[in-house]
Amino acid sequence: MSNMETNNEKKSFTLVEVIDDGPLKITGNIVLKDLKRDVTESPKEVYLCRCGRSEKKPYCDCSHKRYV
Amino acid sequence: MEKASNSFSGGRKYRNNDITVYWKPDACVHASYCYRELIEVFDPGRRPWVDMNGAETDRIIEVVNMCPTEALTWKWNDEERNKDISIDQTNHVIFRRPELLGTMEQSIQENPVSVKIMTDGPIVIKGDFTFQYGGNKKEIKEGIISLCRCGTGGHLPFCDGTHRKIGFEDK
Repeated sequence: MSNMETNNEKKSFTLVEVIDDGPLKITGNIVLKDLKRDVTESPKEVYLCRCGRSEKKPYCDCSHKRYV
Repeated sequence: MEKASNSFSGGRKYRNNDITVYWKPDACVHASYCYRELIEVFDPGRRPWVDMNGAETDRIIEVVNMCPTEALTWKWNDEERNKDISIDQTNHVIFRRPELLGTMEQSIQENPVSVKIMTDGPIVIKGDFTFQYGGNKKEIKEGIISLCRCGTGGHLPFCDGTHRKIGFEDK
């Protein structure tokens, strides 16, 4: 068990980053599923709207900058 | 491991001719997609609460895939069919609970992180990932976080349910 742990010890490949006053940036190995639009994809990098005002939801379109 | 035909370590399982659905109650976060979408199959007020005869297999799979956690997962009874699962089958056990794939070799070494955009609701992220915000960095192992998408929550960046109060509509 401990052997396995040391072998597998590595940083997560996927990074979820909350950008201050900006979108959510996710990079790495993900399956993104949008339930409302019934879209599933595996982007290596994606910026998701956090302000609720994007015209391209769930993606960021920089609408937040108009409201800061 | 299996004590009875309808249980497995960690929960219960339900079968029809095509698939087996696994229920792991500890993992449930009460997102309630299962019974809101398909009460004929998933009825919390009934015992047993899952009736695999309540809908077609395709529809059951569709609703199990909506579950944001591994509380509900599924696999084909025909193990051959479990070897080639497309990534949109998000709650297939190969992505959520590969230990349940009895005879199959674990071919996927690193499970992708699940990112679900909930209908008129938050972003639910599940799996192993690094979470970074406000200068903090945290390694999340088999964790789940729910992040605000309406911009008005009181616990930003996390969801606190405010989207429902303000009638946030994702369009």
